[in-house]
Amino acid sequence: MKWIRSRAWTVLVLLLTLCVLLSGCAQAPSGSDRDEPDGTSKQSETQLTVSGFASIEGIPDYSGKAYVVLNNNQPTFTKEEIKTTSYEFYSELDSLGRCGVTHACVGEDIMPTEDRESISSVKPSGWVNNKYDSDLVDGGYLYNRCHLIGFQLTGENANKQNLITGTRYLNIEGMLPFENMIADYVKETGNHVMFRVTPKYAGNNLLASGVQMEAWSVEDDGEGVCFNVFAYNVQPGIAINYATGENWLSGETPAETTDTQASTTGNETKDYILNTKTKKFHLPTCSSAAQTAETNKQSYTGTRQSLIDDGYAPCGTCKP
Amino acid sequence: MVVIVCLDDREGMMFNGRRQSRDRVLLADVAAMTRGVCLRAAPCSEKLLREHGLSPVIGEDFLSVAEEGDWCFLEDRGLSSYRDKLERLVIYRWNRHYPGDLFWDLEPGEAGLRLTQRTEFVGSSHETITKEIFEK
Repeated sequence: MKWIRSRAWTVLVLLLTLCVLLSGCAQAPSGSDRDEPDGTSKQSETQLTVSGFASIEGIPDYSGKAYVVLNNNQPTFTKEEIKTTSYEFYSELDSLGRCGVTHACVGEDIMPTEDRESISSVKPSGWVNNKYDSDLVDGGYLYNRCHLIGFQLTGENANKQNLITGTRYLNIEGMLPFENMIADYVKETGNHVMFRVTPKYAGNNLLASGVQMEAWSVEDDGEGVCFNVFAYNVQPGIAINYATGENWLSGETPAETTDTQASTTGNETKDYILNTKTKKFHLPTCSSAAQTAETNKQSYTGTRQSLIDDGYAPCGTCKP
Repeated sequence: MVVIVCLDDREGMMFNGRRQSRDRVLLADVAAMTRGVCLRAAPCSEKLLREHGLSPVIGEDFLSVAEEGDWCFLEDRGLSSYRDKLERLVIYRWNRHYPGDLFWDLEPGEAGLRLTQRTEFVGSSHETITKEIFEK
């Protein structure tokens, strides 16, 4: 079922705002009495009233801004949830292979000290990637493997419980700015930030409609970092079937079998040789691969598309 | 008056009443630049500036009371209504993208300022910070 964009959201947003005002939810999250969130199930309307939590239906349609503020920007961590030592948590995938809620107490001690490794081995739910004009989609490919808790915060690489199918727009415009804010704050102060990211799926959709991000700086009681937002998993100019992840140019007819297309455009698993210095990939039989310095050479088994997604380009000699 | 401001890629300044970013190297540069002069700032900037060894004069009305030659560290408001008082403007650019709901509201040219200096340096948590100085 597609994400149905109901106009009823306006009424719910008004109700939500009223509830926030009446219940004092704009206060510090330690005053919240919200239950532990379930990243894969919707909150009831009663819970919405109590906690200011917005279900998919309560979130306005995308209208040109990559994110909207929820609950007057107040996160809903309970006192018990707020920790002063670093940790990270990733939910098990659900029966549809979808990620659930992730949360962490981000501190310098769990931030990465090495470059990100390849994450192309992970195929998150709804991963039906297509390439578009780079004027329309930055980099060309619609989908990124979006970290729920950004790599720069906890250094997670190919963790399938932390990667969702997200549009380039969600990744760069919707999520990255918030991760940057947290990362800078932690590096500059040495303090911790509670960070929770909850992907929101409508029904049994394989593609998330977006992600809720909540953050709260611990040692200064939210003085440095405090937000609660929903970032949209959309791409301007592209239509998306959230049930499957299929996508096409807005205004055009959807392709019938994107999966079939994918199977002939690089989604078959094969062996390749990578040159990690030049970022080229080769067939194992390629003469250029044989000449690659051992220090720059790496064997890889996976799809051509995954390599391209990771910034590798095919060798011009063997044309893998 | 001379105004110092930090901006992200979208000319953003704050989000939800919080500064978008901070950087120890940048603040050391501010301290060196304002040594011996009157530095004014809003109450929200006091803690940050004092933590980095600065001794600002704090006041909610810091822009309106600033006199010729005073320096103002600006984080939580626009400047367009004070454009006529501007003698010089120092913009630090984070060269990163942050969430924003308060944005810079003054085109330097509109205040009769022109770019006279642009330098780059490595911050403590930013790969490249650009420092631009605009003068009459």
